[in-house]
Amino acid sequence: MAGNISGNAYALTILSPIIDGFTQDEIAYADIVRNHLQDWNALSNSPMVAVPNTYLCRYFVLDDVYTESLPGAGVLDTLSDFYPVISDPRRRKMLPKEDHLKSRYLVFSSNFYCGPNVDLDGYLTGMWNAMSSSITDVWQYCYGFKDVLEADPAQRPERFVAYMKKCQRSAALFFVGSNDEPLDEQLKALYLKQEFSRFAADNQGLDTPTLKSNFRAFLKRVAPTNVSSPTWAAGKYRL
Amino acid sequence: MTKKLDLLDIQGNVIRAYGRFGFPVARYVFLNIRNSAKGRQFIGEITKKVTTSVDWGDGPGQIKRPQCAINLAFTYQGLKHLELPTASLMGFSPEFAAGMKTRKDILGDDGPSAPRFWDPIWKTNRVERHKDVHVFVALNAQSQAILEASYGELVNTINQYDGGLVIIGGHLGENGALLDYQDVNVLMKNGKPTANEHFGYSDGIADPVFEGMPRDAQNPGGRGKQLEDGTWAPLATGEFLLGHIDEAREYPPAPDPILLSRNGTYMVYRKLHENVGTFEAYLDEHGKKYPGGKDLLAAKFVGRWRDNGAPLVKAPDAASKAKFDAEFAAADDAGRDNMLSNFTFDDDMSGAKCPFSSHIRRINPRASLEMIHEPGDTPGSLKMNKTAFDTPGALSNRRRLLRRGLPYGICKDRNRDDGNHGIIIMMINVDINRQFEFVQQQWINYGNDFKAGNDKEIILGNHGDGDNNGLPSKAVIQVDPNSDEAPYILTKIPRFVETRGGEYFFVPSMTALRMIAKGIVDPT
Repeated sequence: MAGNISGNAYALTILSPIIDGFTQDEIAYADIVRNHLQDWNALSNSPMVAVPNTYLCRYFVLDDVYTESLPGAGVLDTLSDFYPVISDPRRRKMLPKEDHLKSRYLVFSSNFYCGPNVDLDGYLTGMWNAMSSSITDVWQYCYGFKDVLEADPAQRPERFVAYMKKCQRSAALFFVGSNDEPLDEQLKALYLKQEFSRFAADNQGLDTPTLKSNFRAFLKRVAPTNVSSPTWAAGKYRL
Repeated sequence: MTKKLDLLDIQGNVIRAYGRFGFPVARYVFLNIRNSAKGRQFIGEITKKVTTSVDWGDGPGQIKRPQCAINLAFTYQGLKHLELPTASLMGFSPEFAAGMKTRKDILGDDGPSAPRFWDPIWKTNRVERHKDVHVFVALNAQSQAILEASYGELVNTINQYDGGLVIIGGHLGENGALLDYQDVNVLMKNGKPTANEHFGYSDGIADPVFEGMPRDAQNPGGRGKQLEDGTWAPLATGEFLLGHIDEAREYPPAPDPILLSRNGTYMVYRKLHENVGTFEAYLDEHGKKYPGGKDLLAAKFVGRWRDNGAPLVKAPDAASKAKFDAEFAAADDAGRDNMLSNFTFDDDMSGAKCPFSSHIRRINPRASLEMIHEPGDTPGSLKMNKTAFDTPGALSNRRRLLRRGLPYGICKDRNRDDGNHGIIIMMINVDINRQFEFVQQQWINYGNDFKAGNDKEIILGNHGDGDNNGLPSKAVIQVDPNSDEAPYILTKIPRFVETRGGEYFFVPSMTALRMIAKGIVDPT
């Protein structure tokens, strides 16, 4: 799936079919899945924050494909409108049928840092390790996910990776906003940029020796080469 | 053929900023309709006195300049209580129906600008039915005596309808007094009228010019839209009047029937308090540190020099300012307007003359948003991307606003914030969301389009205080990227301007006023 990769960024698209069933409370499984996803909005941050190297991701329930008009209407159809050699009912029968999905889908679309070796397995394993209970909350209603749940706990990360790969589609949905570096590098860069702006504002107009000394103290405090600290936390969306 | 507007059908405040036409004082009165039929009768009566956009003259067959110009506008609630058909009401824009108060998050009316701190009239608007603002009556007079007399007549007229409609008061005036009206006036200096507001800047320069506008349409330089070859033309009428083609070659969305909306428009009314003490203190503090000195710094805030409005792109330093001033003194009115308005930011793409966060660059960026930085360019430099758009004004032509209104109050102590002084700004546009709200949200309170991150416009921005009201604000005064100078960073910018109220209004045409009065608006 080379089209899914841009530099060191990977665009992962997962479509997991949701079982056509319902609970004792008369709620369809797909709606339960959506409820779980909507409840994540009420949390202080997304469970995906804990998944290493996620640039940006989206979850949603795909109910069906949407159509805006009858398919068809090529040149011949237009001609036929003017010179109706074929009867209208017959012409309509010849038109392609409207497409619909066979089931409702849980869609997971993620852009992450895959590194030069394109490590999808590593990313998915990291995802399972970081949020297996949230994953189970939503994916338990999907076809085939019981292979993961029924496996021996030690086997589950591996089964999860296999399951996700089975659900993977070749679509390449890239979101903007990453610069090809590992996430912790990017977070550190944003942190440094913000802190440096503050430094510039707080120190303008000072004499050179003071400026130099303040800058040394600044460098010591922000530790540019230490990506892990101090830095921005993943999932930070406000300054 | 040149477009000709039905000036007799368009209310006069759409075409004229009265303050500049010999009407130095005005009073804005707001009414609440208690009885729909009587409300319509009143509208019918007062419509006979409403001032149109027609040219004035003393010759035979000409309309004489009125002593007091009268204009009307309505809120959504007002139109509802005048019993416009539901199908017509539903054709108005959602933000007009919702009202300014509910748009506070988009407008940045937070902290000290939050609706809970607004003048009582605006705070209680849309809370209780009998305190809702329904009708706006503007009286613009040639003198204070005429204004008082006209107001007396208005009150008498209202009283003839037995409580069918009432004036709602609650405008904060001098020393906390609550008044029945909002007075505004041109600020005087040495006994002469000025175009200044309370911070001392000249206001109302470079107001947009649109097709069909009498007089001004002949002089669109810097005030209309810039064409591909760099020349200027008037903006499309439909940016400012409903029922006319706009810059997208479409009719702007408007309610049915067409007679209700054509030649009408929307007006954004805002009462903005000016924190003069805070402004002067901040300017003093940074004026001492800023290498260019206090006067230049004050000019950098706005993009124009405070004394005469000279644009920084034409007069970026003391020497060029002196040259500008000499030419300005010798020029006639048209020449001066041209000197003040007719410029571009083409030679200032990096903001070295007119900063990205200055007032005029944010309010009307002209072609300056079409900027790029390419690998190999001098760090911090930006240049025009000439091929990106059809015309230089592509990103700004649909975001223009006609500005009306005048300052209110008198600033008695320039060291204090708490006096009764500010500005009533009335902005006219056909699409409140696309024009006013966009400029307010994206260009005044956010800087991304100007490659200025979340820096806000210096004067009007809803600056945070670092505690309860968001992060402390900053803005950058850019310098020539090829020079050795350092950019100057304005730190911890306080809130210079606070919202004290406002609402969205519909300004009908004369035809629509007469139809509303008769109750014959029919969208079918």
